[in-house]
Amino acid sequence: MDITWGAGAANPVIWGWLIAVYLFLAGIAGGAFLTASLTDLFKKNGPAKVIRSGAFLAPVAIIVGLGLLVFDLGRPLSFWKLIFNVNFGSVMSIGVFIISIFTVLSLVYAYLVWASVKVGGKVQVRVGRAASEAAVAEAGGTAGGREIVAILGALFALGTATYTGFLLSAVSTNVFWSTHLPGISGVPFLPFLFLVSALSTGLAATLIGAGKCEDLTLYKKIDIVLMVIEILLVAVLYASVRSVFFSGNLAVLFWLGVVVIGLLLPLLFSLYGVSRHKNLVVPTCGMVVIGGLALRCFVVYAGQLFK
Amino acid sequence: MAKHYAMVIQLKKCLGCQACTVACKFENKVPDGQYRTKSPAIGPSGTYPHVKVFFEKQACQMCQDAPCVKVCPTTASHYNKDGLVLIDSHKCVGCKYCMTACPYDARFINKNTGTADKCTFCYDTRITKGEKPGCVSTCVGGALLFGDANDPQSEVARYLATHRTEVRKARFGTRPSVHYDYEGVK
Repeated sequence: MDITWGAGAANPVIWGWLIAVYLFLAGIAGGAFLTASLTDLFKKNGPAKVIRSGAFLAPVAIIVGLGLLVFDLGRPLSFWKLIFNVNFGSVMSIGVFIISIFTVLSLVYAYLVWASVKVGGKVQVRVGRAASEAAVAEAGGTAGGREIVAILGALFALGTATYTGFLLSAVSTNVFWSTHLPGISGVPFLPFLFLVSALSTGLAATLIGAGKCEDLTLYKKIDIVLMVIEILLVAVLYASVRSVFFSGNLAVLFWLGVVVIGLLLPLLFSLYGVSRHKNLVVPTCGMVVIGGLALRCFVVYAGQLFK
Repeated sequence: MAKHYAMVIQLKKCLGCQACTVACKFENKVPDGQYRTKSPAIGPSGTYPHVKVFFEKQACQMCQDAPCVKVCPTTASHYNKDGLVLIDSHKCVGCKYCMTACPYDARFINKNTGTADKCTFCYDTRITKGEKPGCVSTCVGGALLFGDANDPQSEVARYLATHRTEVRKARFGTRPSVHYDYEGVK
């Protein structure tokens, strides 16, 4: 309806693409950290390239994401006030602490992985026997510390990935964001969707960064499971909210970006090339990452454009 | 007993003159293109001879269960001792979470300060001096009533006791302190 007299309606989009990309990057960071740390913890002699890729990607993604978040503030230079004024009833206030701790842990973990690579290199190439024993002992010492950082970091990575969903679902006045699991009114939907998407996109981005690896079969299988779960969740979302959210320009973003590029094509590629066809890894993972970005944009905009 | 400031808007008395919009502008030095209160035309709706148009004053509804206060990460948005929702601009970082939560689109980021801004019922500049909000004082048609709803003798309390009024978007359970009497316009 046109406003025929009086001041017009305000722009309905309050959180724009900067916030959508931030939520996407926080998911990538969480998923990449989990990929690296779980490989490190549970897969003895797992592909070192995967550990390195995930460990380095996580801090870069979360710091770039936080940069976008701070830039989007009305007063960017006052961001530190978020740490000193706490509201335990506010999901964002709790999230500030989860993400801050995760960022620190991801940096420490990246350093420990980087340091062990360096020490390992030295042992083989240059130093004599006595020095090599000392270096091995030192590397062993950091390995114990690294395990603790990996475990703690994995918990906060889960927290970070889930938080991005809770941030939106806690807005109880937003019908789309606060959609709950069908039949269970107390449990919000978005944290589950964003967690699965974070694991999927974080794993995909890590594999892109790992480059050519010996054996990625396990990762490809995990990715297939994640994609199937995400397809089910997206289907549940589509069935449980009004169809207006999937209309207009957002219809293209949803059907082409989220469903076709982000889920169906990579699933087909993965099923086809699960153990062979290594050259399919990068295009498949690339589509998963693009789909994750499309999903965040779709959810952020759909919730605000249609009320 | 604690005060509970409330406003009643009698829509049939509103001429749409925008004196409230303008009074708010100079009372609160609101930046160009931004508004703490608006009174847009609703309609015209219907077909002749049953065409209707009315004006709906829209500003912060001073919710007693305010979504903005709940989500604010820094406690910048808060309830004051008189039951009003106000913003401590020193604590506000401009994250806009409150704006996504407000179902009334009452908030904006002030272009000059970078912090969230909205109607205060003119708390600091007028109420604490015993005056009424700028919009209420200036209203040409006498459409706006203001006072302490907890004082049974106040104009607002007496009006609410004797008239059928509504709050906007009651489905969200925000318990607004701004009441609308749509009698004669809907």
